[in-house]
Amino acid sequence: MPLLRFRTALLFPLLLTVAGAAPVFEKDVRPLLKAHCFHCHGEGGKKEGGVDLRLRRFMLHKTDDGPVLTPGDGHASRMLSLVKSGKMPKGEKKLALHEIALLEEWITAGAPVLKDEPEAIPAVYITEDERNFWSFRPVVKPPLPPGEGNAVDAFTGEKLRAAGMDFQPEASRAILLRRLSFDLTGLPPTPEEAEAFLQDASPDAFEKQVDRLLASPRYGERWGRHWLDAAGYADSEGHEEDLPRPHAWHYRDYVVRAHNEDLPWDRFIAEQLAGDELAQVKHETLLQRIHHAGVSEKLAATGFLRMAPDPTGGSVADANLARNQVMAETIKIVSTSLMGLTVGCAQCHDHRYDPIAQQDYFRLRAVFEPVYDWKNWRPPGQRLYSLYTEEERKLAEQIEAEAKQMDDERIAFAAKRLDEIFLERLAKVPAEDRDAVLAARETGHGNRTPAQHELLKKYVEANVARDEGLLELFDPAANNKRKEKQSKSTAHRATKPKEHFVMAATESGTIPETVIFHRGDHGQPREKISPALFEVLSPPGAALALASLPDLSSSGRRLAFARWITGKQNPLTARVLVNRFWMHHFGRGLVTTPGDFGALGGRPTHPELLDWMATDFMEHGWQLKRLHRLILSSRTWRQSGDPQSNPDGERLYCGWKLQRLDAESTRDAMLAITGKLNLHSGGEPVPVARDLATGRIVPGSEIINPGNGMIDKITSAAEGAMRRSLYIENRRSRPLTVLDTFDLPVMNPNCTSRTLTTVAPQSLLLMNDAFSVEQSGALADRLQREAPANDRAKVARAWSLLYGAAPAPLDTARGLVFLHELRASLAAAGRDPVQAASEALTAWCQVMLSTNRFLYIE
Amino acid sequence: MASFCSRRHFFRANAFSLGSLALPWLLSRDGVIAAPTKPFTGSESFDLSKKPPPRFGQAKAMISLFMIGGPSQMDLFDPKPQLTKYHGRQFPGEIKYDNAAEASSKVFGSPWKFAPRGQCGMEISELLPHLSEIVDDISLIRSMRTGVNNHGQSVWALHSGRSIGGRPTLGSWLSYGLGSETQDLPTYLALTSPHGQPLMNNENWTAGWLPAVFQGTMVRPVAPHILNLDPPAYLPPGGQQRQLELLNKLNSDHHAQHAGDSDLDARIQSYALAARMQTAAKEAFDISGEPASIRKMYGLDQDHTRDYATRCLIARRLVERGVRFVQVLNQGQSWDHHGSIRGELPNRCREVDQPCAALVKDLKQRGLLDSTIVHWGGEMGRLPVLQNDGGPEKWGRDHNTYGFSTWMAGGGFKGGCVHGETDEWGHHAVKDIVNHYDWHATLLHLFGLQHDKLVFKRNGLDATLTDGQPAQVAHGLLA
Repeated sequence: MPLLRFRTALLFPLLLTVAGAAPVFEKDVRPLLKAHCFHCHGEGGKKEGGVDLRLRRFMLHKTDDGPVLTPGDGHASRMLSLVKSGKMPKGEKKLALHEIALLEEWITAGAPVLKDEPEAIPAVYITEDERNFWSFRPVVKPPLPPGEGNAVDAFTGEKLRAAGMDFQPEASRAILLRRLSFDLTGLPPTPEEAEAFLQDASPDAFEKQVDRLLASPRYGERWGRHWLDAAGYADSEGHEEDLPRPHAWHYRDYVVRAHNEDLPWDRFIAEQLAGDELAQVKHETLLQRIHHAGVSEKLAATGFLRMAPDPTGGSVADANLARNQVMAETIKIVSTSLMGLTVGCAQCHDHRYDPIAQQDYFRLRAVFEPVYDWKNWRPPGQRLYSLYTEEERKLAEQIEAEAKQMDDERIAFAAKRLDEIFLERLAKVPAEDRDAVLAARETGHGNRTPAQHELLKKYVEANVARDEGLLELFDPAANNKRKEKQSKSTAHRATKPKEHFVMAATESGTIPETVIFHRGDHGQPREKISPALFEVLSPPGAALALASLPDLSSSGRRLAFARWITGKQNPLTARVLVNRFWMHHFGRGLVTTPGDFGALGGRPTHPELLDWMATDFMEHGWQLKRLHRLILSSRTWRQSGDPQSNPDGERLYCGWKLQRLDAESTRDAMLAITGKLNLHSGGEPVPVARDLATGRIVPGSEIINPGNGMIDKITSAAEGAMRRSLYIENRRSRPLTVLDTFDLPVMNPNCTSRTLTTVAPQSLLLMNDAFSVEQSGALADRLQREAPANDRAKVARAWSLLYGAAPAPLDTARGLVFLHELRASLAAAGRDPVQAASEALTAWCQVMLSTNRFLYIE
Repeated sequence: MASFCSRRHFFRANAFSLGSLALPWLLSRDGVIAAPTKPFTGSESFDLSKKPPPRFGQAKAMISLFMIGGPSQMDLFDPKPQLTKYHGRQFPGEIKYDNAAEASSKVFGSPWKFAPRGQCGMEISELLPHLSEIVDDISLIRSMRTGVNNHGQSVWALHSGRSIGGRPTLGSWLSYGLGSETQDLPTYLALTSPHGQPLMNNENWTAGWLPAVFQGTMVRPVAPHILNLDPPAYLPPGGQQRQLELLNKLNSDHHAQHAGDSDLDARIQSYALAARMQTAAKEAFDISGEPASIRKMYGLDQDHTRDYATRCLIARRLVERGVRFVQVLNQGQSWDHHGSIRGELPNRCREVDQPCAALVKDLKQRGLLDSTIVHWGGEMGRLPVLQNDGGPEKWGRDHNTYGFSTWMAGGGFKGGCVHGETDEWGHHAVKDIVNHYDWHATLLHLFGLQHDKLVFKRNGLDATLTDGQPAQVAHGLLA
């Protein structure tokens, strides 16, 4: 028997593999060699000592010291003795003992391979196994497991039951509606909405709530924000100066609108990548076409390609470096958000873990090169396009002409008066010098001869230049008149229609070449490269060229890329998108690294479900709202309770894992509950300012003292301060304190998944911050208005506003006792009864807004 | 629905029967009660109560002056006459670039001079005159190694034991293993630069999969360092105590319904901590009372050192008050000198040299150095060959994670000690190599912990900082 097995092993290595008895090259040994050895022995044209380890065939090569590999004989295999002795790999990162053991086992077993090895391999060699990595495999719709009506449940339920678990019962209606409202709109349900849902006995009561919330404009504000994270939205340019980016909001509004209108994601993506090409515009021709139907909308979409930090409008130490960084950051945003790949390291060298070569990186860069054209760089200010209509422009020009006339009149008025004064004073100059003084005055300051300067110094009284500012010195009354005229022209100019600009990605018609940068250094250009897909994503053989399309004035590269991205052959994008959608519903993705679907990223917990949703999403027109309905109606999403203590319970979706409100929802929900929320949608962001006394960043404007350039004071943003967090200016260097404290991500350049913290500064904010106190006061006022009868009524109203539930008797009792005690303490501290009552209620409201029941979604 | 209600009633009744769960810190502060009580938090809970280490540990606290980007060891800590001798010539050996593509292979001799310093004669570069004064108190490791490619991965390796994200950082492990010496301040604090967040932002102080209560707390880089330390003016005396008592009751009830959720637990504890911080943090972060001599010693009186001096001084004050782990971080990866190293490296050194040396001196004069580990170092060093060969002003050096330098002081580290060596070019560590996991094992050892015994049960497995790697305590570094 042992003999037989031995023979079988030699003759049919494949059989042994299937039996799981020996490692095989493709699955077991190659990944190990790629990580440790290819770097010098095979990749990038390097074959140190003539040794290439990329194929078993190559390893049979004999070196001066003996054969690299002798199948079946470890002692006669240099590769084994060298790693065993620690001489290889040369770096310090040696193979681990189990890796050496695996290598030895493989050699002893006859160095089996699964498939015939190719005759020749290209410089960038991507193996079958790399192409078969889960996220690079084509997405195929798996069959639905039987037993559940909802497709999501079919997959999750199957795994749950296999692990001996089952779904938890459906959550109560009150909990469901609160969960649903926050999920879809980032806001809590009103008590009236909750009541209506509780009273609705129809079988599709829940679905009606889903439809209602999906139709709400608040939906796009919530789900648009999710995409803005991935896109790296900010209202500033980043880096040290962090200059404002005052026109970015057109892109934000585009994203919100696209969500509200359920714009199919294939179009949504194509417009963001190539809206200018779809609209057939270029930098030079844009202003003539911007008012054609749909053009400005498609241009706003390309704001996506302008989201990367871009300091080139300010002072930068190394302009070329900064420009190339803008491009690198853009590629990072594109690849992590749409492809789930981290390709940044391939800028300098082949990706060590994923099959992405440096060539691949520059192929992708070539897609975007015509927009950025780093050698003919346009800083942010030159990538803006006015949205003025013809009439607005004419009107503005007319107003400008009128104002200019007013200015001219004012200047003439001042000059006339100054001339008069001069002549009065000239009369006092001795007659022989008068002509000379006159001539000196008529000569501009810069052109005077030294003698003329001397002369005017001598007759300093007569040195009355024709400079309108001097009127203040010589004739204050006339100067007041001048100032009056000046404010009139200023006021007149202010009547011009406000000029808005859209920031957009466009091409200028020339197509700059893309070259590989040696080690990623733009100062070391190497060979030219054309736009193409990553090889691993292309059909085997060569990288799929992203050729220009006919009839386009632009290069067509991005449009070609967008078509591939939204095409059926693309294994990544639909998976990446549905995974992210899933994450926003459940708090984590089926793949826990939404921006990295590569070797170092996570693996899907439910690969079939992911693929089923991805294909279903594509088959049904890339409609997100449809997918929401599927997920939200599942038992998986509607469960109650916490994951079972079984460690697998959470991973397999046994029960609902509590979620903390994110930064925006925390603030917005507080404003909604106190009734202060200003639901004005879209438009320019509410500015933020650094509060001088406390250092907090608050909504408001900084009034700068023109004298010293210092901040004089902060004006509050009034109504604007109560707008949804999405509309508060998102300056990278000055996040609103309330949001920052609750983990608003910094866009650097983007954020594919947020991390939440639980730290004392959050508690301090809820206990002591002016925002918390103000909102508690507002809630107290609201309770006083809406439940004036007594404390009991106020407690009940607050519970329904905050938690969508009625208080238990104990909770009511605690509230009553608290209010009673606080009123007594306040009275003892000298407050009159009305004030004591209102402050006690404020204090209680502050507690309510600080509870975990408020901060977490059950 | 009905069963849900009844379950809630059960917990309500249960909580009620426990009576009023007073907030002990506030009441004990006012002398009302002294006995500590713990909120009812369900099956498993983690807190920051002080836990004695299983063995004696000399170190009680650590200040990590982390220099992200990779300070150049051959220009600061590891003199290589060979480089000067062969400056501008082809590097004769093989360069381990951080990956396959090749930079220049011209040898780059250090533009700066080294000299023996202190009693021990440790050779330090002229760029670090202040460090040169304290060499008899430090252990210089010239053989650090992570062997992982890039900034992010190497930072992860040094923070969390592995070159992947999502794992708990060293400060979290120490907080988990030892708890806190102070109940008034977060025990794990991150001091970031006013010029910007460090590379990878809050991943530098994440608790990973350890319970949330062990995560680091970032301190605002500009004053006020902690916001909202004053109770609102409208509250009457004792008003906030009443608020927190009520809040604790409500949160405990809520937690009872979601037993085992570590985040809820952490938030309940964070209110308790926040209450105590109101008095403690203000005092801890207020350096205005520090005498002029101390301010001068750290460099608070000079523009170029003021920022780093402020943070070093705050770090000392925090450790004095029982904080376990303080991380001081630079912005971005500002030590990453691929180019213009001759101009930039001196600037970075000028900003930190005096404050760092002052920190060690100050801890020593206060008798705190014996129990406080000070760490100075980045996630990598740099190569012996030049990068960016466009004239001396542009010269830089590329990454090198195969041999770089880091210094340690206090907490049981030897003084005046040079540990390990790189090869004659400063490229590879060749003697007494300290891998990131060896470094971790050594640090935990000094805290009285064992790297393979400090475990956290995760999905049924024992998870550790060193994660099964062959970590060795570097005994040569120990006093």
